[in-house]
Amino acid sequence: MNDISTWDVARNLADGAMWTLGLSLCAFVLGGVSGLALLFARIAKRTWLRRLAQGYIEVFQGTPLLMQLFIIFFGSSLIGIELSPWLAAALGLTLFTSAYLGEIWRACVESVAKGQWEASASLALSHFEQMRYVILPQARRIAIAPTVGFSVQVVKGTAVTSIIGFVELTKTGSMLANATYKPFLVFGLVALGYFILCYPLSAFSRRLERNSRESRTH
Amino acid sequence: MNLVRIDGLHKHFGSNHVLKGIDLRIKQGEVVALIGRSGSGKSTLLRSINGLESFEDGLVEVDGERLHAGQTNLRELRQKVGMVFQQFNLFPHLSVGENVMLAPQVVKKTPRGECETIARSVLDKVGLSEKYDAYPDQLSGGQQQRVAIARALAMQPRVLLCDEITSALDPELVNEVLAVVKTLAAEGMTLIMVTHEMRFAREVGDRLVFMHEGRIHESGTPAELFAHPKTPELANFIGSIN
Repeated sequence: MNDISTWDVARNLADGAMWTLGLSLCAFVLGGVSGLALLFARIAKRTWLRRLAQGYIEVFQGTPLLMQLFIIFFGSSLIGIELSPWLAAALGLTLFTSAYLGEIWRACVESVAKGQWEASASLALSHFEQMRYVILPQARRIAIAPTVGFSVQVVKGTAVTSIIGFVELTKTGSMLANATYKPFLVFGLVALGYFILCYPLSAFSRRLERNSRESRTH
Repeated sequence: MNLVRIDGLHKHFGSNHVLKGIDLRIKQGEVVALIGRSGSGKSTLLRSINGLESFEDGLVEVDGERLHAGQTNLRELRQKVGMVFQQFNLFPHLSVGENVMLAPQVVKKTPRGECETIARSVLDKVGLSEKYDAYPDQLSGGQQQRVAIARALAMQPRVLLCDEITSALDPELVNEVLAVVKTLAAEGMTLIMVTHEMRFAREVGDRLVFMHEGRIHESGTPAELFAHPKTPELANFIGSIN
């Protein structure tokens, strides 16, 4: 079994890392779009819409990602829909990401001074126009750093999808560890892979935070 | 002709009955100052006129636009009512010119070029045309408040509400803002203001409305009210501020 070279290990792990990256991007983009929808629902005037969004967020924040993936993966086959591990993983992570981003962004919107709502309301702007021209541009500045910071959680969260059989970095690693009997080397490289994906993001987030503290308000 | 009509306005904050049946008529071009102790309901009354505060009972009408209890469609009414706040509330991410142009552009769909003309003319009126490209945090409090006035004027409102607009200013900056308000009054703008500047209210106001415990307790010309307060509450209030 030792005819698998370190080079082979590294190449296969790089392949797995690409799937991790792809899944992260997919979850982040789709989760971002639905997170934005959640944000609007969360601050809507209609009570039922606010409650619905809040319930959604509480469910996805209050249960482990692993259980969410199990329920999506095994639950879908119970109702007769066969989801591939890739689809189940993408769907699960998207739902998870949207709940967190929706909540992060809501906090940013609520940190915009109340006077900004009142001033724009008294200028006859509609709720949507207030959001678009006055509130979101200010909330966006506050949101960038925590959003990028959360993207690190998404990348690491993809590791859990290995359990439903999606072959990303962690799954590739455990298969290689079994084949090579060198778990320390393989999982060391897996960890390095995650670090290479995550470090630029967290460094970027730190820099943004520093900039936003130092920069003027516009 | 009455520009503003308020009939039987009632407002509660929880169990606190803050407006207990307000009736008020304001003519075109009139300058009305709402005075009274804090908690007397004067700010709440002012904020009801453009629907920033909801009310449970009664009617507000501005230039034919009616506002009933629980109504949520305020777009028409708010285009006729400008408002200036104690804390200025300029949009910090937009330049002075953009602050002023936003509502005409977005709400009235006025073409960009025309908006710029409007913006320059209202900024000129408040003496800040040279600050067109500046950002709010580069201005003094007095300048920010004058931009806020210009921003309200850009919508060509029929009436301007001023909610303690000099209370957050350093004393030396108060006069530049009051001078702008005085010019507006002289040009015939209908003004309703909540103010603690009694001297100013006396000088510019056509009518003072003294509020006490959620009711209009007394109202009349500044000269009448200050010289001959009819109620002990008003006499007391005048005594406490002099």
